[in-house]
Amino acid sequence: MTATGAAACAGAGLVAAGGLGALTGRVRASLTAQGIGVGLTAVAALVVFAGGAPVGAAFRSGVHPAFGLDALSGFFLLVLCVVALPALAYARAALPVGGRSVALAALTAAFVLAMAGLVAARDITTFLACWELMTLVPAAAMLVARQDEEVRRAVMVYVGITHVAAVGVWATMLILSAHGVLGGAPLGPGGLQSFVLVAALVGFLTKAGIAPLHVWLPRAHPVAPSHISALMSGVMIMLGIYGLSRVLFLWLTAVPTWVGVVLVGLGSLSALVGVLYALVQRELKRLLAFSSIEHAGIVVLGIGAALLLGSAGQPQWAAIAFAGAMLQILNHAAFKGALFLGAGAVADAAGTLQVDRMGGLLRRMPVTGGAIGLAALAIAGLPLLNGFVSEWIGLQALLRLPVEETDGLALVGAFGAATLAATAGLAALCFVGVAGLMLLGHARSPEAGAAREPAPGVRGAVAFLAALCLVLAVLAGVLVPRLAQLGPGSWSGSAALGLDLPGTGSLPTPLLLLALAVLTALVTLARGRRRAAPAPVWVSGQQDDSPLAWTLAGFTKPLRLMVDGVLRTRRDTVTTSSAGIVEAVRFRGDVPHLFDTHLFEPLLRLASRAASVARRMQSGSLRAYLGYLMVLVFVLLLLLRLEILS
Amino acid sequence: MTAQTIAAGGVELAGVALAPLVVGGVQWLKARAQGRRGASALQPYRELRRLWGRAGVRPEPSSGVYALAVPVAVAATFLALLLLPIASIAPDWGLGNDALVLFGLLAVGRFALAAAAWDTGSGFELMGAARDLTIAVFVEALFLVVLALLAFPAHSTDLVAMSGAAASGEAWREPAQWAAALGLGLVILAEAGRRPIDNPDTHLELTMVHEGPTLEYAGRDLALLHWAAAARTWAVLVLAAEVLLPHPGAFAVQLLWLAGWIVVFVVLLALAETIQPKMRLLRVPVLLYGGAVIAMLGLAGRLLGVAA
Repeated sequence: MTATGAAACAGAGLVAAGGLGALTGRVRASLTAQGIGVGLTAVAALVVFAGGAPVGAAFRSGVHPAFGLDALSGFFLLVLCVVALPALAYARAALPVGGRSVALAALTAAFVLAMAGLVAARDITTFLACWELMTLVPAAAMLVARQDEEVRRAVMVYVGITHVAAVGVWATMLILSAHGVLGGAPLGPGGLQSFVLVAALVGFLTKAGIAPLHVWLPRAHPVAPSHISALMSGVMIMLGIYGLSRVLFLWLTAVPTWVGVVLVGLGSLSALVGVLYALVQRELKRLLAFSSIEHAGIVVLGIGAALLLGSAGQPQWAAIAFAGAMLQILNHAAFKGALFLGAGAVADAAGTLQVDRMGGLLRRMPVTGGAIGLAALAIAGLPLLNGFVSEWIGLQALLRLPVEETDGLALVGAFGAATLAATAGLAALCFVGVAGLMLLGHARSPEAGAAREPAPGVRGAVAFLAALCLVLAVLAGVLVPRLAQLGPGSWSGSAALGLDLPGTGSLPTPLLLLALAVLTALVTLARGRRRAAPAPVWVSGQQDDSPLAWTLAGFTKPLRLMVDGVLRTRRDTVTTSSAGIVEAVRFRGDVPHLFDTHLFEPLLRLASRAASVARRMQSGSLRAYLGYLMVLVFVLLLLLRLEILS
Repeated sequence: MTAQTIAAGGVELAGVALAPLVVGGVQWLKARAQGRRGASALQPYRELRRLWGRAGVRPEPSSGVYALAVPVAVAATFLALLLLPIASIAPDWGLGNDALVLFGLLAVGRFALAAAAWDTGSGFELMGAARDLTIAVFVEALFLVVLALLAFPAHSTDLVAMSGAAASGEAWREPAQWAAALGLGLVILAEAGRRPIDNPDTHLELTMVHEGPTLEYAGRDLALLHWAAAARTWAVLVLAAEVLLPHPGAFAVQLLWLAGWIVVFVVLLALAETIQPKMRLLRVPVLLYGGAVIAMLGLAGRLLGVAA
């Protein structure tokens, strides 16, 4: 075994030992051990990703468990470690001693191991086992952390939907394994390939939270403990993309064009649905969950672009589009991890997750607040930060279709690019509002006014991920050429200081950032330190009091009015008057999630009606069951007799 | 580096000084068209000098974000000027010449001022910032479709390549170019904050879009913001003159074309402001959608091989 393999195994062993050790009650020691284990694994993952030889077994068709890492697995393992390390540091500082923390620490280890096992699995047994564990372990963590009605319903929906969709994953993997695809030649076009494609799209995209199968995500992510939410959102949903990438680019060949068109369509839908519903949320973690749907959509747009560019005979740009999608995954892990951990820290410090009841947190908690602000700007796609870089690659990849092609694909590309640009604009509106409300201005509740900087572990975890947003923006020129080698197509770009992609005007982020910083300093100097008179803000000469303070709903009002035809806001105004004098006016407005009310709830009603019919058959009496058996035998005999079964 | 690239770099930097003249020119011409005498085209320079000598204000509550927003916005707008192609060439500042990056740098100012608006918590500033960000959603989508059309002749989003491909004016034989012209026209109106999308002359807080977030600034900060707004107008006008409109000939001739097109734009903006009132805010997306649909039709027309 190579040193890299040994490091990965030792890391996994330490995480497992830490998880078991938690059961003895020493939560902090357990989380420390897990953290060291994740750190070791991260080194191994980085070596394999950066170009080291694959370690362990290669993919095989049998059912005997096997583990190994190739470059793509190494990349996803690295994404896992990037989130897991600060998540563990956060948990170590934030979890109270004893009680539920014991179970949570053990479950955290199990969750990390399940995800690491999935990317390292080299046979279907391990793959499917880890896939199921990855779904079930966070469900258990949610139930351990909270035990009210809301969380039970959320877990029910989450487990239900992901399990129904897991049928697609099982079907995909079993067929591919049975046909020897995993160990040998990729599957060519044909009826079987189409079936595998549909199954894989349903199975893996549900896990990725792609609309219209996303309704579990905004329920499940907010109720999990914050460090589990960060892992679920930053890593778990993107492992759906990992599975899909393997199927599309490594296990199948000559994938038909319609798959690319479907992916661009679903990606656009998810990106828009995710960000539009994020805009109308008031609770921070639910808002972040919707934003995860948006980002999964952006990644799927990139994967779709890679497929279309590949089939259009542009291998160079197919590789770059894929690299852009992968970079988006890494970027999303960094800023979404920072925001979920930051949300946990703020919830503890300010006692609320309602964004309209925070305010002024940058002054109260400069490190955590500053880190949340940086991550929010990165996720909003502020130019030159990492979110902008990967969206820029995505936009350029989609634009490549109308710029080079003169068939229907050009329209698909232009449509995808326009949607992605609108998504970026909406994300800017959403996260500038969120960051402004949380961090700037007056404190909007007494609890927010008394917020304190959290423990060093929590601060450090959030700050680490936020700093990563800046580092990833600078390193994009190094990462993209490497990432382009992991998927379809081929691009001979080499690592450079900036992103210089063919057919674009290049994006040299380090120089642009440097120039921006220097110029900002120069302008500040030129402005000089002049007398500035303190003055109240202009509110038309009135008293500035809190009822006039802006909310997120106010900030997004112009947009909500413009797209009201899509959102269909419910508004209720109740006016109480007596003797012709209005005494009170009460207003209630909310935006229902149309996928819930029009798609999911009808399906749920249908399912529970079917369940109640099935329940009537389960009388519990032995005679009835014997009767069922007899009917079954009779029917089977009849079918044999009629030669339908042979 | 040849003399031509040095000259192109010089024009890029001259934009810093020339930008207020464009705004002043539009104001002067507009006044004439409306039968008023109006202030001279040099008025913006006098305003800048006057504001530069004034003391600033420090709204309560505000933090470093309010103070930092203006330098960031000004620096990003200045960088955007350095990305522009001039007469189909551009000096290599090491910053690239990408169309999307240029558009992104113009957006940085929007981010910075929205953050400053939250920092002061002023309702009118937030109102303007919210509208600005909302309109930007539709403008960005429109710009991408327009870019899909304009980048086709050069097969590149590199502004220098696009400018070179647009120089001959060959592209105008296709309806796609006319659709792109319409779309880019709308983008110019939105980015420059002109009617019917925004009214740069408004003094009523409730109707402000671009002017809103500047409400709490005074003195040198306000002067810098006025310059940044003028520079943004200059940037989109030069962009349109270079990547959309024909400018054939040698380098010096192309420079004359550029100057000529800028004058044409100034006249067009002044006339549009004279005959066109500001639109209701909620109708702006319809206008921009319309532009995007026409641009998409232009794309579809090109696929079908429609020629004018």
